[in-house]
Amino acid sequence: MNANNDQYVLQTRNLSVYYGDFKAVTDVNINIPRNKITAIIGPSGCGKSTLLRAFNRMNELVPGSRVEGEVLFNGQNLYAKDVDPVEVRHRIGMVFQKPNPFPKSIYENVAWGARIHGYRGNMDELVERCLVQAALWDEVKDILHRSGLALSGGQQQRLCIARAIAVQPEVILMDEPASALDPIATLKIEELMQELKKSYTIVIVTHNMQQAARVSDYTAMMMLVDEHSRSGTVIEFDETHKIFTRPSDKRTEDYVTGRFG
Amino acid sequence: MRKSFESDIQHLKDELLVLGSMVEQMTLEAVDALKKRDIDAAHRLYAMDAQINARRYAIEEQVMVLIATQQPMAHDLRLLASILEIAGELERMGDYAKGICTINIRMGEEPLLKPLIDIPRMAQTGVSMLHRALTAFVNEDVEVARSIPQEDDIVDELYNQVYRELMTFVLRDPRNIERANWLLWVAHNLERLADRVTNICERTIFTATGELREIKASDDEQTSGSQRLSQ
Amino acid sequence: MSRPNIFEDNLPTRQKTASVWQLIFLSATVVGIIFLSTLLINILNSSFGYVALEARVPPETLAVNGVPLEELPKEELVRLLQEHLSSGAFNKLENEKPFEKRSRSEVYDLVISRIVKYKVVESWNLFESLFRADEIRARVAEEFPEAELRFMSWLTVDTIRRPQSSEALLAGMRTAILGSLWTIVITIIVAFPLGVSAAIYLEEYAQDNWINRLIRTNINNLAGVPSIIYGMLGLAIFVRSLEKLTSGAVFGLVDPTTANGRTILSAALTLALLILPLIIINAQEAIRAVPQSLRRASLGLGATKWQTVWWHVLPNALPGILTGTILAVSRAIGETAPLVVVGASTAITFDPTSPFSKFTTLPIQIYQWTARPQGEWRHLAAAAIIVLLTLLLTLNATAILLRNRFTKRF
Repeated sequence: MNANNDQYVLQTRNLSVYYGDFKAVTDVNINIPRNKITAIIGPSGCGKSTLLRAFNRMNELVPGSRVEGEVLFNGQNLYAKDVDPVEVRHRIGMVFQKPNPFPKSIYENVAWGARIHGYRGNMDELVERCLVQAALWDEVKDILHRSGLALSGGQQQRLCIARAIAVQPEVILMDEPASALDPIATLKIEELMQELKKSYTIVIVTHNMQQAARVSDYTAMMMLVDEHSRSGTVIEFDETHKIFTRPSDKRTEDYVTGRFG
Repeated sequence: MRKSFESDIQHLKDELLVLGSMVEQMTLEAVDALKKRDIDAAHRLYAMDAQINARRYAIEEQVMVLIATQQPMAHDLRLLASILEIAGELERMGDYAKGICTINIRMGEEPLLKPLIDIPRMAQTGVSMLHRALTAFVNEDVEVARSIPQEDDIVDELYNQVYRELMTFVLRDPRNIERANWLLWVAHNLERLADRVTNICERTIFTATGELREIKASDDEQTSGSQRLSQ
Repeated sequence: MSRPNIFEDNLPTRQKTASVWQLIFLSATVVGIIFLSTLLINILNSSFGYVALEARVPPETLAVNGVPLEELPKEELVRLLQEHLSSGAFNKLENEKPFEKRSRSEVYDLVISRIVKYKVVESWNLFESLFRADEIRARVAEEFPEAELRFMSWLTVDTIRRPQSSEALLAGMRTAILGSLWTIVITIIVAFPLGVSAAIYLEEYAQDNWINRLIRTNINNLAGVPSIIYGMLGLAIFVRSLEKLTSGAVFGLVDPTTANGRTILSAALTLALLILPLIIINAQEAIRAVPQSLRRASLGLGATKWQTVWWHVLPNALPGILTGTILAVSRAIGETAPLVVVGASTAITFDPTSPFSKFTTLPIQIYQWTARPQGEWRHLAAAAIIVLLTLLLTLNATAILLRNRFTKRF
């Protein structure tokens, strides 16, 4: 436990992620502040999603993956022996690139997660609250029994966000949540994120730099370690406005000005 | 990567240099016309200001289009913001030169209070500073950009000299006050021009490094004469 | 400004190739349809038609006081039986079921089977009967003056209801149908959960190492093993080694007529073994087809592996699993060879009552009937084939309905 715990929800300590022999992410040391939106940007294949998944141990779903170093969640190492990944994913939720609602009713989509965790409160209230928080309630309150797949892409993604917050996580990881959506739906998600950060810490991977610039408070810039390597690392982590107006690393500069590669 | 954007930016820089050289030319010629009491030339130069304004608007518009379409970030963003700012500065400088022409025209048939010596020197120094400042901006030469504002002292010194000299004329014969005032205004405009060169240098440093600070702010406080009269 | 043409002008050729291939595909379909129709027509053709029947005691002679046999009351029929049968035979019938309790039609059937005793002297197919009726009539009049020519449907409610018999006219399929149903139900009960569980393990839990790859490859191979091999396996394991279990001896349920393992249970287990690889492979495919994003969504919420499999993977794979099971069961229901090896009876007349009963199944019955030299059995076999096909269709339809129900939920 150290004094920074209140300020930072997630901290990585020399975090490296491997898939078999392949080192996908090398030596990441960043501190993700509480109730802020942190964006991870960088070129394709530099390990953004891998790093994100390492935050709730979703990377373990890939056979042969392993990590070195630590990810501290409120000061506790997520990869410690006695930590159950199921519990980790309960506390650190995830929203994926493609909206993936369950092929169930809208109501069930939100309620299911809470139910499996043994939620004891009033389920109707919870569902309503989560849908309201996800800015979806007004659009779906009369069709709660309808299939979640009947919604539009943007609505589906907000349903996935409602589903994620129904289990009351502390952190929501978003893996390019708007890349499959049109600009209007994207803006809605971005506005929603601003609301959500009051209650949750959000980490978002995006390769839309404007989106990172618009929504995030902090930005982690990822790059391949060097030209010959296929392993990525965080080369710069700073407040977003600094990354986009006067980054300190030349590679960040080249990337955000579009002169990368 | 981003070839068309790069060439658009290069084009903007060229436009800025053209605008700068117009301002330089107008300033020097305005002072020259005053020195020679050439009212026709003053009228001609007066019209030049409209061209300067038009060019400035053109630059502004191009910058806007680039910002809207290219979403510039970091250095590009600072560069475009600086170009916008500098184009504004140059337009203001053009206004100073226009002001000199206005004085020349208003003086009508009246002769100069005294032959102009320091005022052309002020103009030359200021224009030279401007020229080098713009070159430094285009090349993003931080060293040069930092050194140029020092020369503002020379202009300030000349200004104070002009001021004291004109004051003696006024004290000697209060009827000189209007003619002295005209020349003081000319000197004042040139002094302001040199001040604005400092702003250009600030923009150069900002573009190159991202730092946005006033250069030699402390010195400015002490140059009492200019401070007092430029309000 | 015209651009230089760097392409060959081959569109007509390409279009022609396309039409040729379309034609080829169409012909393939047509050929398939022709084969299938031929099969069905052939079966229908054999199931109906004229038969020439010769009675040992012509029914006209049994008329009492001018009332024809068909209209005689029950009491008269019982009297006729008493007259024509030996007293021992009559008493035996009385002992099986007292005549007071038998309905009139039952007694009438007895009169026909025990006294009249029709015999088929010649039979014709449906088309012959329809288009060459005069010819047939002429021939019967000439060759079998005694015979009665009757248009007969071999597929009747009676043929389905009646048990097996040595007389073609009296033989029915009930024993075989019940045997088939018993067998297939037990097969499904055994094979479905086993197969699906194995598929879940292989797809969701098993690591990708050489042992599991070996297992997977072998399951695929097993699906191609000839069914007779399974029959031999079933004989060795279920009939012989596990005789105590499959005969029901361990449960104290031994059917007095069986003292060995040649029971429905053995047959069902053998068939289950036979279709297990099919079910596993199909279920694996179905489970694999469930989008990975669904698993991630569930796991990302903090669900356990089991919750993910039970609530998301299985419901979504179920339609596919059911389709695979339909195919597998369809195969099992038509299997003959392994059951012959395991020891299906060919001529039992009593119904199976428990998994430990002796049994026969429809395909075996059909096989056995078609093997007989007399022509009338072939007609009966054709009728049985129709029943088998109907049974198959019913089973499939049920499964499809079930599947659609599950599919609709999403």
